[in-house]
Amino acid sequence: MDFLHSLDSILVSTIVMSIPLVFAAVGGVFSVRSGIMALGLESMMMVGAFFGVAGSYFFHNAWIGFLCGMAGGMLIGILHGLLSVRYKVNQVISGIGLNLLALAATTLLMQLLWNNRGNSPQVASVQTTAGFLLGIPMVGPILGKLSVNAYIMALMVLVSWFALFKTRFGLRLRMVGENPKAAATMGIRVHKIKYIAVLICGMLAGFGGAFLSLNHMDMFVRDMTAGRGYIAVAVAILSRYNPAGVIVCALLFGFCDALQIYFQGGAVPTQLIQMLPYLVTLLVLTIGVKHIKAPEGVGKYDDE
Amino acid sequence: MDAVVMKQIVKQYPLVTAVDHADFCVEKGEIHSLLGENGAGKSTLMKILYGMTRPDEGEIWINGTKQAVKDPYHAIQLGIGMVHQHFMLAQVMTVTENIVVGSEPVKGIRFDYKTAVKKVGEMIDQYGFHISPTAKVSDLSVGEQQRVEILKALYRGADILILDEPTAVLTPQEVGELFRVMQKLKSEGKSIVIITHKLKETMEIADRISVLRDGRMVKQGLSLEGLGTSDLAKLMVGRDVDLAIVRENTGIGEACLKISDLTLLDRNQKKVLDHINITVHKGEIYGIAGIEGNGQTELIETLTGLRKPEEGSITKGKETIDGDAKHFLRNGVGHIPEDRMTRGLIMDMSIEENIILGYHQNSRFSDKGLLKIKDIQAYSEKMSDTYKIKSSGTKALVRSLSGGNQQKVVIARVFSEDPDIIIVAQPTRGVDVGAMEYIHNKLLDLRDEGKAILLISADLDEVRCLSDRIGVIYDGKIEKEFRAGQASETELGLWMTGGGRGEEGKQVET
Repeated sequence: MDFLHSLDSILVSTIVMSIPLVFAAVGGVFSVRSGIMALGLESMMMVGAFFGVAGSYFFHNAWIGFLCGMAGGMLIGILHGLLSVRYKVNQVISGIGLNLLALAATTLLMQLLWNNRGNSPQVASVQTTAGFLLGIPMVGPILGKLSVNAYIMALMVLVSWFALFKTRFGLRLRMVGENPKAAATMGIRVHKIKYIAVLICGMLAGFGGAFLSLNHMDMFVRDMTAGRGYIAVAVAILSRYNPAGVIVCALLFGFCDALQIYFQGGAVPTQLIQMLPYLVTLLVLTIGVKHIKAPEGVGKYDDE
Repeated sequence: MDAVVMKQIVKQYPLVTAVDHADFCVEKGEIHSLLGENGAGKSTLMKILYGMTRPDEGEIWINGTKQAVKDPYHAIQLGIGMVHQHFMLAQVMTVTENIVVGSEPVKGIRFDYKTAVKKVGEMIDQYGFHISPTAKVSDLSVGEQQRVEILKALYRGADILILDEPTAVLTPQEVGELFRVMQKLKSEGKSIVIITHKLKETMEIADRISVLRDGRMVKQGLSLEGLGTSDLAKLMVGRDVDLAIVRENTGIGEACLKISDLTLLDRNQKKVLDHINITVHKGEIYGIAGIEGNGQTELIETLTGLRKPEEGSITKGKETIDGDAKHFLRNGVGHIPEDRMTRGLIMDMSIEENIILGYHQNSRFSDKGLLKIKDIQAYSEKMSDTYKIKSSGTKALVRSLSGGNQQKVVIARVFSEDPDIIIVAQPTRGVDVGAMEYIHNKLLDLRDEGKAILLISADLDEVRCLSDRIGVIYDGKIEKEFRAGQASETELGLWMTGGGRGEEGKQVET
């Protein structure tokens, strides 16, 4: 009974831990599919997490916090877009540069706003669970304990998949990512599509970041994302740049995260346990990614 | 009425005038061949027409209306379509997706793939293209991909089609197929401009020609009547050119390069070279004909020490040659690589540096690890003279040279080291008629000096014209060997596509 109970909680926390990854990775899918590398996901998540808390702090409403988080992610997204589309900066450098900038900027802003470089004050957070589902037999206890954000996530993935593979916009976006020159000669506004893609990417990753600070916790702490943006990059690749695949892959990483939390305080040193998600990332990247090809037009331009 | 009229077009680039007051005119319903050497300005002129670059001066009239073509999209709206030499296709997407993107049928907010497939399928049938509208582009042959490109233009209602070097990548059979399509389009009243430097094909397909030389239009709208390929070559180069140099072989010597049972596996353990047996004698050119990707690259790489074969041996006279590329060079195996940009030259280094590359440890060029700068310079100047390399000086970066002159740098390096065996791959790819004549003459000189030459080329005319014997490579195997003059183009083409065996079988039956 005890084991069953803990299984239950591991499952719930697997899903909860995978939510921010799913949001960021789907954002990454949009970005890469349009031909822009998504190494900057970490910065979009971190700024999203910070803006989420800041929004909640000033407006005393966690949902406005989420909106602010998305806006923050989009801010980084548009910056990444400008650097890589307009100024043709090497996208690896642009992404990593933004990640460093985000860490430094959020720390500085915390100092300025709250006079504390380590963490923000507590703010209004989202603890809404789908309690009305508790009554369903068997799965009810699990479904009911999930945050409503899990359901928002499912909807987001569905809409993203539809947009990418079933709409005219998606077809054009994929064409831009595969061969920007071909797309340009077909009259597709390549730059516009790339900007839309990085904005969507920033918005989703920002939401994922805000989820970390407003759902997992109720505050922002320094380096809150702790590499989850990079894990999201791995998830996006492993999913073969498909939103539907993202859910499965993110659950794998979420599961590692959940195990890590579950085993904390056990016999094994915490530091070793905390390595788990990163270790899995490393393994997945070395073994699983070999045969996955990114869109051909990544890093290429339509106008040179 | 003329479909296209371009008047006094000027396009100036920082160092050169690419197009210099050129007039160009295409009648409705004709096939017009735009001839010229590399760098003569053909592509620039057509890029201007297609809106890819803007002219500095001049006017463009499309179907009787003056137009300033802003960008390719605008050109498409004006009914101009262009099939680029390097296809503009998304490999992982389907034929239909590639064709309709940009003007897709929609149903509500959905992209109506079904209707698109149906429309594209109808067009494919109309032109008899035999491709599946739902196939992935990466699964198509080069010829089929070209048809997708043509369909892309037709789908948008193009009635003026520009084809940029369309036959460069095709097999003889595919060329015939393309010409059939071009005739059909012409019969529908479409106007076609074909950019090319292949004269034989021009003679076959074009109604009229225009010739560019150094950016100037030297002949405009000339009818082909009464002209031959040598007249066209003269117009292009500005002097008499010997197109198909035929020189009697003065004598073939003993066996020099002997390739026995050469077998090479790729990463997936598939045989890319399958028991290749070739003997090249002194004073002989052995040509390898084949469609690219049938093992030629791998053959070159094994014969120059860049890859190690799984089985088989390479001998020169009585000695076996193996080991690394350096060892092959030292043993008198010269190598003119098939892609001069990646294997032949270092683009951002000077002519001097490139011309001693691989031989830089030779005592003539270095001493105790230090380069003899003065000797190298003197040597480079001498070579530039001998091989007629046109440049701003021997310190010029190789990147700044034209394709023909780049190739001459490679050739100067290899030939002047006096190798006994020369592996020559695609010696005249992207090289104009003038330089081609020069290179062919050089190869024949070396043959007459008694070198053993293995020539690998995608250009069938070149192989047929120079070789004493021809081996056809297909799927990593030498399928058939011919003596010079024995094989017709169609026969070679058949063997190149692996169809030779079946045909031979049929002939036996009847």
